Amino acid sequence: MSAIALGGPGVGCSATRVRRLLAGELAGAERTRVEEHLASCGRCQATREELAEEERQLVRSLTFERFAAGVAERMAAPAETAAAPWMHLVPLALAATLLVALALPFLGRRGAGPEEPYRTKGGAGLVLHADASGGARALQPGEPVPEVPLRAELHPGAWREAALLLRDEDGVATLYAGPARPGPVPGAFQWTGRRGELWLLLSDAPLSEAERQALLAGAAPGGRAEIVWLPLARAVSR
Amino acid sequence: MGRFAVIPGGRAGEARLPLSEGGLLAALYARHAAGVLARCRYLLRDEEAARDATQEVFARALQALPEFQGAASPTTWLLRIATHHCLNELRARRAGWREEVRRAAEGRTQEAPEVDKRALLRALLAVAEPEEQEMAVLYFVDEMTQQEIAEATGRSLPTVRKRLRGFLAAARAALAEACPGISLPEGDDL
Repeated sequence: MSAIALGGPGVGCSATRVRRLLAGELAGAERTRVEEHLASCGRCQATREELAEEERQLVRSLTFERFAAGVAERMAAPAETAAAPWMHLVPLALAATLLVALALPFLGRRGAGPEEPYRTKGGAGLVLHADASGGARALQPGEPVPEVPLRAELHPGAWREAALLLRDEDGVATLYAGPARPGPVPGAFQWTGRRGELWLLLSDAPLSEAERQALLAGAAPGGRAEIVWLPLARAVSR
Repeated sequence: MGRFAVIPGGRAGEARLPLSEGGLLAALYARHAAGVLARCRYLLRDEEAARDATQEVFARALQALPEFQGAASPTTWLLRIATHHCLNELRARRAGWREEVRRAAEGRTQEAPEVDKRALLRALLAVAEPEEQEMAVLYFVDEMTQQEIAEATGRSLPTVRKRLRGFLAAARAALAEACPGISLPEGDDL
């Protein structure tokens, strides 16, 4: 007869703690403790990979538009059966809110074409998605950027912190700075410049503003950071 | 920066969810939908049902927004709702548990000689009581400590331990019946 252990938390190991770390729910000493543990624990690193795969599956299976529509539908449903007329207003108002949210672009949807991220060494990469009819599509490196809502998808590899910066004729803007979670960056943006670059700065510890500026200015990252650089350009008008 | 505009729709590096109407749902999606969908897929084993359940979970979260936003861990709160919802769905399918346990326990192949522990756990959930089911998922899948489970569920530590032991007892009995060649480790050390 063979015995099978079902698992459970280990000494310092917890899928929930890794999940909470990546969701930005841990702070202070607890965050430091979990980060340090994660850096040296193969089991928890495997958990982090599983969570990254969950993000990829979400993009494939349930787009934001479909998600929001389904939530709105369910929020509105109780209004049909609620007893007191005034109570109808609450879910209806919330549903209306969600329908407003439906109009927000979410660009994590994958298109049918080749979507290899723009990569450097170490498996890190960056994909830029552009809003398109019927969803979104991944722009190829060097492809002219249309004037539509854009969303970046991060592939941070094993790095723990990410800063996504946009630099163009007008200066530098921070699109995202925080835990290096693989998948689409939540905030979509629209860019109307002529020429610019997206810079993904990956590191194990948060980079200060000065460090970011230094890297953008050409400082060598050494072993403390990795840079993924994506040029942006408009189509030439005829 | 005149040529650049961020479109509201999610977090920007901070942990708190934005309260603006448009940003809330997008932030919930970006931060929590993947985990909830994965939990629903794991328990329901049906992609369409998992998508439906995910939407249901977030609708419930929005209907209980003050409670959700006041939760110590929104992640844990949502996964509990998802687990509870899916376990309720699964109870209707309880009849076929023997075959499922047998399949999960004996499902080793040359390519995958290890038993899929999570598949086996999922099959064994069917034979436990509702509260034991939930605590088994929190412990074995989410890898929460008994203390963390007690805090998340509002139960005492002895109750958590009792429920987990109850689950293990039911699981051992089910394995003995469905698949006598395979057992769980003896003892109640959790």
